[in-house]
Amino acid sequence: MSLSPNVRWKSVLASADAFSQALRERDKRVNSFLEIDAALRSAGGTSDSGPLAGLPIAVKDNIAVRGFQLTCGSKILSSHVSPYDATVVARLAAAGAVPVGKTNLDEFGMGSSTDNSAGGSTNNPWDLDRVAGGSSGGSAAAVAAGLVPLALGTDTGGSVRQPAAFCGVYGLKPTYGSLSRYGLVAYASSLEVAGLLSYDIDLIRAAYRIAAGEDVMDQTSVGVPQGELLPPAAVRRVAFLGGELGLDASTAAAYRAMRELVESQGVTVDEVELETADYVVPAYYTIATAEASANLARFNGIRYGERPVFAENPEELVRSARGAGFGSEVKLRILLGTYVLRSGFQEQYYQRAQRIRTAIRHELGKLYETFDLIMLPTFPTVAFHHGERELDAFQQKVADRFTTMANLAALPALSIPAGIYDGLPVGIQAMGPAFSEERLLSFAELLAKDLPPARPPAYGTPLCDELADASGGRS
Amino acid sequence: MDRSELDITAELALMDLTDDERGQLETAVAQLLEYFSVMDGIDVSGLAPTTRALQEGNRLRSDVLRTDGEAAQALADDILEQAPDLEDRFIAIPNVL
Repeated sequence: MSLSPNVRWKSVLASADAFSQALRERDKRVNSFLEIDAALRSAGGTSDSGPLAGLPIAVKDNIAVRGFQLTCGSKILSSHVSPYDATVVARLAAAGAVPVGKTNLDEFGMGSSTDNSAGGSTNNPWDLDRVAGGSSGGSAAAVAAGLVPLALGTDTGGSVRQPAAFCGVYGLKPTYGSLSRYGLVAYASSLEVAGLLSYDIDLIRAAYRIAAGEDVMDQTSVGVPQGELLPPAAVRRVAFLGGELGLDASTAAAYRAMRELVESQGVTVDEVELETADYVVPAYYTIATAEASANLARFNGIRYGERPVFAENPEELVRSARGAGFGSEVKLRILLGTYVLRSGFQEQYYQRAQRIRTAIRHELGKLYETFDLIMLPTFPTVAFHHGERELDAFQQKVADRFTTMANLAALPALSIPAGIYDGLPVGIQAMGPAFSEERLLSFAELLAKDLPPARPPAYGTPLCDELADASGGRS
Repeated sequence: MDRSELDITAELALMDLTDDERGQLETAVAQLLEYFSVMDGIDVSGLAPTTRALQEGNRLRSDVLRTDGEAAQALADDILEQAPDLEDRFIAIPNVL
């Protein structure tokens, strides 16, 4: 593990005021943070000698960090402050990482743009007129703008990988359960997992190893089999998803180039098509919205959330709190989820989607008998403009066709920066069998030798280097 | 989905909708439900539903008092500090009767 980023960042963190001021200044046009801890009060209590000592991290605002707000990008939680740390945050902090702020997201993680946030839109550091992707758009933009070396996100249907692709950074969605969900505000419990975003594969590897493993506070958490952490066998056979993929020109070119790059490494490449391909997204949205309608029942102005000043009775209070507190995308998904779970419709939608989920798992499982990895685009397009100019809300959902299968099948997937086309980054995913994180990261490292990630021109120098240079100049 | 189905669903979800929202959501929900009907195109007979991806069955733990007494107390204090109104260590809520 390379410790050099820690050393550089640590010296910067030592002067809290200068760091938070510079962070705020640099974030003005990107708007990736919803809250920045000016005093870096969390820096005090953390380990001084851990493997992540002094490393600032950004945390998506649907993950609990004690003393920080936890708004989930929603009006209904606008004044909520977390009294405890999520397990992933606690484990990274125990290793020395310092949470410096909370990042913007689509409300409750529902969206692909970070435009659906009560905290305003986040802008893509490569082109401020474009979205950063979503729902972990703030975390991806914060890393791409060089504000922090590592950020935490959550991935329910692509919410770490798609913004990572849009912003040109690595985004790891680990095996379901390998990172505890304790302290993640639940949207679709059977699909989601915390994820990591960075330019630095070593940092993702280190943070994953520190944060992964069983947690008594999350009964769906699982221990990573020890053998999986050993140096992996070389990747020999890779499947590239073929067929009519509906990619834009940049993504299609990057995907072709990636295939050539993989072939040039002496890896056997085959093209595969999935029989379940057309059913992935509808099954995903059926399950995700059904689970959301149950999980978001707790935001009712009584158990959690802002409540109206006056109501005639408890039921009116709940209706009014939810009516006023949720944004339109959240309302849409709650309504859909409630509908597909209504008696009489369950077999047609929810049960059927869960059986399709089984079919997808079987089909992918079969492919992994032959192939070490499956590679596929992260998203069909590069980052789109704000305001649904290229893709409307419905088309954005259909475009989740490459990311949602990893969630349905609980598999790890890594979005890899695959070059810059017309000034915008493209991400290509590698998806592996359960617990193959190390294989994914090592393979990405191999590819990075020929195709290293790039930083956006306007944010070419990480903040730590800029500050270190400035202080060096003064002394 | 027609307007009355939408209203019944909103009723079940305990969520007030404005007239504007009802119009927009009616269209959006109908569009997605139609999209969901794509799922009719695959034969899923004989496939068991997946409710959890990797884990088999429930995992239980003993119902015992947390041993980190001080941390638990600090957590309780932090939560109480956020309550809009307190009476001693009780959260005071608006009268609902």
